[in-house]
Amino acid sequence: MILYKKIYVFILCFIMLVALSGCLGGREINDLEIVIGMGIDKDKDTGDILLTAQIVNEKEAGGASGEGGGGGGKAYWNVNSIGKSIFDAARQITHKTGNRLFVSHNQVVIFGHDVAAEGLQKHIDFFLRAHEMRPTTLILVAEGRASDIMDAKPETERFPAMNITKLVKTYGFTSHLYKVNMKDFATCLMSGTSATFAPLVTVSQDRENKDVFVPGMAVFKNGKMVGKLSHDEVRGVLWVLGKVESGVVIVPSPDGKGKAVLEIVNAKSKVKPEIKDGRIIFHIKIEEELSLSEQTTRENLATVPGFGKVQEAAGKVVRQEIMAAFERSKELRLDIFGFGEMLHKKYKNEWKIMEHNWDDIYPTIELDIHVDSRIVSNDLLRRPASPDEGGE
Amino acid sequence: MGTDKGKINGRQLLFMFAGFIQGSALLIDFTVGITEHQTWMVILAGLIVTIPFILSYAALAKRFPGNDLVRINDMVYGRFIGKALSLYYIFFLSMTLSFNILDVGELYVNFLMPDTPFFFLLSVFAAVIAYAVYKGIEALAKVSHLFVATSLFVIITTSVLLADQMDFSRFLPLFELPFIKLLQGIHIMSIIPFGETIAFLMIMEHMNDTKGPARYSFFGVLVGAASLLIVSVRNTAVLGRTQTIWTSPSFQSIRLIDIGTVLTRMDFLIGIAQTMLIFFKCSIFLYALTTALSQLFGLKSYKPLVLPVVGIEVIIAATVFQSPVDHAEITQNAGIIYSAPLIYLFPPLTLLIAKIRGLPKTERSRGK
Amino acid sequence: MFRYIFRRIRCSSLKNENDRMKNGTAPEKKNSEPLLPSLENNIRAIRENLRGSSDLAVHEFNFGHDRRYRGAIVFISDMADKDEINKNILQPLMFGSLLISSDADIDYTKIDNVARNLVPVTDSRKVALLYELLDSLLAGAVILLVDGSKEALAVRTGKRESRSIDEPATEAVVRGPREGFNENVNTSIALIRQKIKSPDLCVEKLVIGEKSKTDVYIVYVKSVADPKLIEEVRKRLDRIKTDAILESGYIEQFIEDDPWSIFPTVSNTEKPDKVAAKILEGRVAILADGTPFALVVPMLFIESFQSVEDYYTRPFLASIMRMVRFLSYIISTLGPAAYVALTVFHQELIPTQLLISIAEGRERVPFPAILEAFLMIFAFEILREAGVRLPKPVGQTVGIVGAIVLGEASVQAGLISPIMVIVVSATAIASFAVPAQTDSGTILRYIFLALAGIAGGFGVILGLLVTLLHLVSLRSFGTPYLWPIAPLNIAGLRDFLIRMPLWMLSRRPQAIVRSDGNTRSQGPDLMPSPNKGGGNDTV
Repeated sequence: MILYKKIYVFILCFIMLVALSGCLGGREINDLEIVIGMGIDKDKDTGDILLTAQIVNEKEAGGASGEGGGGGGKAYWNVNSIGKSIFDAARQITHKTGNRLFVSHNQVVIFGHDVAAEGLQKHIDFFLRAHEMRPTTLILVAEGRASDIMDAKPETERFPAMNITKLVKTYGFTSHLYKVNMKDFATCLMSGTSATFAPLVTVSQDRENKDVFVPGMAVFKNGKMVGKLSHDEVRGVLWVLGKVESGVVIVPSPDGKGKAVLEIVNAKSKVKPEIKDGRIIFHIKIEEELSLSEQTTRENLATVPGFGKVQEAAGKVVRQEIMAAFERSKELRLDIFGFGEMLHKKYKNEWKIMEHNWDDIYPTIELDIHVDSRIVSNDLLRRPASPDEGGE
Repeated sequence: MGTDKGKINGRQLLFMFAGFIQGSALLIDFTVGITEHQTWMVILAGLIVTIPFILSYAALAKRFPGNDLVRINDMVYGRFIGKALSLYYIFFLSMTLSFNILDVGELYVNFLMPDTPFFFLLSVFAAVIAYAVYKGIEALAKVSHLFVATSLFVIITTSVLLADQMDFSRFLPLFELPFIKLLQGIHIMSIIPFGETIAFLMIMEHMNDTKGPARYSFFGVLVGAASLLIVSVRNTAVLGRTQTIWTSPSFQSIRLIDIGTVLTRMDFLIGIAQTMLIFFKCSIFLYALTTALSQLFGLKSYKPLVLPVVGIEVIIAATVFQSPVDHAEITQNAGIIYSAPLIYLFPPLTLLIAKIRGLPKTERSRGK
Repeated sequence: MFRYIFRRIRCSSLKNENDRMKNGTAPEKKNSEPLLPSLENNIRAIRENLRGSSDLAVHEFNFGHDRRYRGAIVFISDMADKDEINKNILQPLMFGSLLISSDADIDYTKIDNVARNLVPVTDSRKVALLYELLDSLLAGAVILLVDGSKEALAVRTGKRESRSIDEPATEAVVRGPREGFNENVNTSIALIRQKIKSPDLCVEKLVIGEKSKTDVYIVYVKSVADPKLIEEVRKRLDRIKTDAILESGYIEQFIEDDPWSIFPTVSNTEKPDKVAAKILEGRVAILADGTPFALVVPMLFIESFQSVEDYYTRPFLASIMRMVRFLSYIISTLGPAAYVALTVFHQELIPTQLLISIAEGRERVPFPAILEAFLMIFAFEILREAGVRLPKPVGQTVGIVGAIVLGEASVQAGLISPIMVIVVSATAIASFAVPAQTDSGTILRYIFLALAGIAGGFGVILGLLVTLLHLVSLRSFGTPYLWPIAPLNIAGLRDFLIRMPLWMLSRRPQAIVRSDGNTRSQGPDLMPSPNKGGGNDTV
């Protein structure tokens, strides 16, 4: 008897708990507006935030359920709305979509040029705080307006946002840009001295097709965009940070008649800060491994002395790139390399003093660069396809 | 002691200790706000500081075999002071239990299932721990090793998967923070994961191992502390400076796993592991609480108390704090103050008095 | 008001209970009357007791020198072997007795003399009480009555119709013996005896069931099984007081440890080699007449994932198959729940591309995911149940129609999503991989689905915890159900997911065997290698 009563009470309580608690937090998949890309601009008229959200359009996005899906339609839908802050704009989108945005699958956030110049510090908070946002979301800056970038229909991907993600994630092929996600951006923002950077993205009009590509990186000071870095300058920074994965290094051939084109196979860097006699010196040692991918002269470079000369030349190129980046950073008065933090980790007492004037101290830094290049392969050719000039 | 005739052996006790401490892994995330990249030091220091106290609990249990804390208090301090002390202990247990139940709710509401009504989560969770306690300590002891194995698996897997994002220079500079902050961190660390093991004083009586619980508790605590250490090292290495801004660094560092296209969304791993562990921790607390209460009031069995007590706890959990900020502040500041005497002062004192009065000798003839 | 309703329900259920107890199976009054020396009286008594049975046959005859003695045989006409009666009873009595010289002067009113000198049958028994006589008669024996004797002879000649020994329908193997028990329990015992020829094999007989008087045998190996276990089995079997034991399942439901648990604590099998292997591990087998399914206790959870074939094949494949089975069980119970939980509550945990694909698939579906899942699983249950009862000629067609209708057409019509079909098919197929746990798996599937629908991942995890706690405290005849996982026992784990090679499995499961030593079933150091010749004697 007692057992039956207990079971009865228990079931009753459970049913009440479930039924009276409301919807219990479940959302059917088809009620979601899956966002895969977001763009933030300043609205031209009011100065408020213009949010462009790229939403997956399920009807057109596939053809799996036997319907074919056409293929002519766009698989995505760019919705925009204006609000006083990003969260406000995001909610206002429901006026157009009828459902809250589901941002957990958001791949990129593109900031328009005007927003970036104004300062990103105030906008980042939303992306870090919202629990649906993931810290792996990539950040980019558009050279114009973000909404234009989001509209560019890609050739090989279904969604522009995915295309852009792909472009950035494969930075390693050229090492001319770098992948920056929310967490990295936040880390740099939190450091008082390091400068943040983010890839630039722009659209080029080429006959009818709009192509999206990344011309370089934008650099920020305290969250405000203050300049741009070209591809080579970016690679200069990456050499120092040790983040170069692959890329092309072109050196003039030793006989001056052509070029030797090398592919970077591997690169490592070691940076040691040193404070000596009141001077700040950074000893940078770069080790790279290259492979001879192309040569345009007839002289066979695949010899020991040949390699030696080419290696030296390659080392010079690396130095050039690093120095170019350094000069640019001095010009902008930005610590792009993160030298400040490296000093902090090693000389914490001196850093406490230097921290506040870092902007002024930074240009006085000296770099001591050693590059150790090694050519490890010459692919399939033992010598170029040219007439034999006597002696191998 | 009542109806629970279950017996635990030494190895199960080891796993229970380890699982208990691992259950606090998400709880100590907030200390990162205080100790930043030196959290790992604070964990080690906390461990070293608390080990002697934990050994004193074990020594108490060994000295009075078959008796739990309430009875020991009665024996050592006499009926009135002993009961007052037990009441203090019960208060501590009930507060901590409600905070832990609240933590589960917060874990889910903040991270995993955001739209679910809070009270529902708490009640369902409470029902499950009530069921666990109802089944008796032996059921909990038997599953302890499964929980510990699962959580170790999760911790190690996530650390391995995050290896490419780790940067150990983030631990430098080593001794940056002022000592006062470290001290605060050590204090929190020694009370929250390690000191709470005082709850085990209600459980160690069930051991069937005559060698005493000291060595098992010691190794169990070591395993638990090692897990906490790995978690903290992983978080610091991966998140670096941003560790201090997130409410839950562990969670965010797992969200960063992005390998291939498949291994991208592993949040659920932490959800599963942490739910199991907090469940385990709360069950132990609830068991300790109900047995202590039943002892105090002279009841024959703790079982009828389970449902009412858990109901009260849920209500406390749901209403006591106004916001997570409130929660963090009060536990960090007030919580450690009222727990400190119970964890640091009384057990060694009890042991000392017992030694002086030569107590267990006369009690041994009484038996169980 | 609820209390009133509740009280009415309670009262009526109590009343039913009382009525049942009054009219219930009262134990039969035993006709403990002794037999009378008068032949006519005996025959009359038998006829009276068996009133209404037209298959009772009575044949009176005279035998002995000068036809001095009057006798009668009584039998149930379809149960006795008439050939045998003629050859072994009538002929020796009527004619064979003449061969014995009349000087011997044996008094045939003593049934002993008849049995010893005249009836060349091995299986005969003396009966002195009426109920004993009736029991034997109804079990198929031929009763020999002699006028003037207070005892009768029950001769078991009966030939029983039973199936030939065939491959068990439910437990087919690729490698291994294909014998299976049949409905005749004596044949079954014989099969077991052929596998274990040791004198330690004990076979105890019980008769359970007031009206069915079913022969039930307890089989165990004396030197290995724990005497406490044997005693417990006997105790529980003796407790059963019921009308009939028609199948071993009845026995199972009367002796199990926790009738409210969805997990079976008593295992059953049709294969003699499986039974032999299990009793050699210290378990006790219960065989009942009338069914080929033998029960074996105690049962551990991990047994559901073990199959006899695992031991006949080499360890690598066996280990993989074990893990496959374990995973199948998990898939079949948690599959739909995981799908619902992920797509309704935790969409952020699915990789983006997959999410988009699922969303496309579910575009036109009008039902919420939980309802869809529930309907699909239910439809599958209907299919399964119908499939068992399909007459063979219709079987194939209906199978194809079911698959096509439920799968393809529903998807085309936009009633369910293709992902759901895949999930449910996987669940369904996986559920057949672990036959011992089909009942628990089926129910758990629905429970987890409901939990997932209500509380998403949280609900599923809590459900898992509750199930785990339940399993951990479940015991089967004193052995913890989750041994060797829950009370952790490393040696026992050698046979769970991975099947260690046979020469490593030398210990019997510690939880089951008797505790006074005798835990090794094999000699040490048996790993085969070209340099080692000959094994040691097994202990």
